[in-house]
Amino acid sequence: MALSLDLRSRRLDFDDVAAFQEFAHANNWSDGLPVVPPTAEAVAACLTWSLMEPDHLIGVEPVRQRALTAEKVAINAVMAGCLPQHFPVVVTALTAMLSEPFNLHGPTASTGGCGVLLIVNGPIRNELGMSGTFNALGPSDRASTSIGRAVRLVLGNLLEVRPGEIDRSTFGHPGKISYCIAEDEENTPWLSVAAERLGDPYVSAVTAVASMAPRQLMNEWTTEPTEILDTFVAEIKANMTHYSIWSGNYAIVIPPQLRQHFDAAGWTKADIRAYVFEKARVRRDEWAACGKAAIVGDQPDREYLALPDPDHLLVIAAGGPAGGFGAVIPPWLGTRSHAVTTAIGACVDCEVP
Amino acid sequence: MFEVLDPTYSEASEPLQLVNRPDGLGGLTVGIVSNGKQGTATFFDALESELRTTFGVADVVRVTKGNYSAPADPDIMHSAQHWHALIAGIGD
Repeated sequence: MALSLDLRSRRLDFDDVAAFQEFAHANNWSDGLPVVPPTAEAVAACLTWSLMEPDHLIGVEPVRQRALTAEKVAINAVMAGCLPQHFPVVVTALTAMLSEPFNLHGPTASTGGCGVLLIVNGPIRNELGMSGTFNALGPSDRASTSIGRAVRLVLGNLLEVRPGEIDRSTFGHPGKISYCIAEDEENTPWLSVAAERLGDPYVSAVTAVASMAPRQLMNEWTTEPTEILDTFVAEIKANMTHYSIWSGNYAIVIPPQLRQHFDAAGWTKADIRAYVFEKARVRRDEWAACGKAAIVGDQPDREYLALPDPDHLLVIAAGGPAGGFGAVIPPWLGTRSHAVTTAIGACVDCEVP
Repeated sequence: MFEVLDPTYSEASEPLQLVNRPDGLGGLTVGIVSNGKQGTATFFDALESELRTTFGVADVVRVTKGNYSAPADPDIMHSAQHWHALIAGIGD
């Protein structure tokens, strides 16, 4: 199959890279960091790798009816530092984000300042050198950082999700630069996030979640799964009373040093979800202890759940080999946006024509 | 010298067509679309009172979106076809 690769975007000439960088920054094409010049050759390479015509429709942002084409997404992916092999993951992430349950406009416009957490599963992690170990939530590897950044550049350049424009975040958080994590599937007996949500353990997939910054916790003083999870639950409950009491897609990240205790006790992700669902609950009157007595109201005993149901908890196996830490990643705002898992459908295994 | 492609959205948008502004509100039906946040209730109660007493509207229709982070529900947009004016756009 031969692609036409008829690139239609406006073309601009620059004398050198420095001139391009200054132009890009002056025109708000960047997130503040240097960007890779999106030459036609580099953009075409992404489209060729994924066997997409330039006008292939990735999706439509429903509020403003903006069509996102493969060409435009590829331009931003190149600018973010993506290689052609990374492009299918970027496309899949955006496909998930443009789906109705994700409600893209809400989390990207909100004063709440969430980022978009991308959880990558399946064989593509290894093909792209994605690491779910050291610095799993930080700059872990080239692919994770570039893919996460590509999504943010698309939001800015194609949907004007920029500070003070569509993006009205009071604070935001560093994950708004890049927020992409590969699950450490090889070092756990657990099924991956995508395998559980899609019912297929072999597919490569991306789960997009509108998420706040990670909240790190620590418990190296027990081997009991329930006590370890009580620390996660305490962090979730703190988020509920300090930030937002509404239930939604919480994510927790469990590293090897803690996972070994769950494995020894035979705990599955389902066991973890069931326990957290039961325990992560707060009452309205708990607001009084953190300066919010004014909103306790006349129903002090009303109970709120962190999770609408156990399946709303995303349990991610990731993190470096040492450290009895964990991470709780709260949802943006309850169920105003839902986590969406999408299989990577681009033909990454096909021979390039 | 090298050439790059523009990463920004480039489709020409149809300019918004504003409906004709009524000369006055007397005798008209005005819809107020709340985004559902708690702070809108008191504000819109006062606004409704003002519309009725000062501006003499025939009716005020109060509706609330199902999700304050999403566009108005289809049934709200359908109802809006029967209003003469609509007030929306409240923030937090």
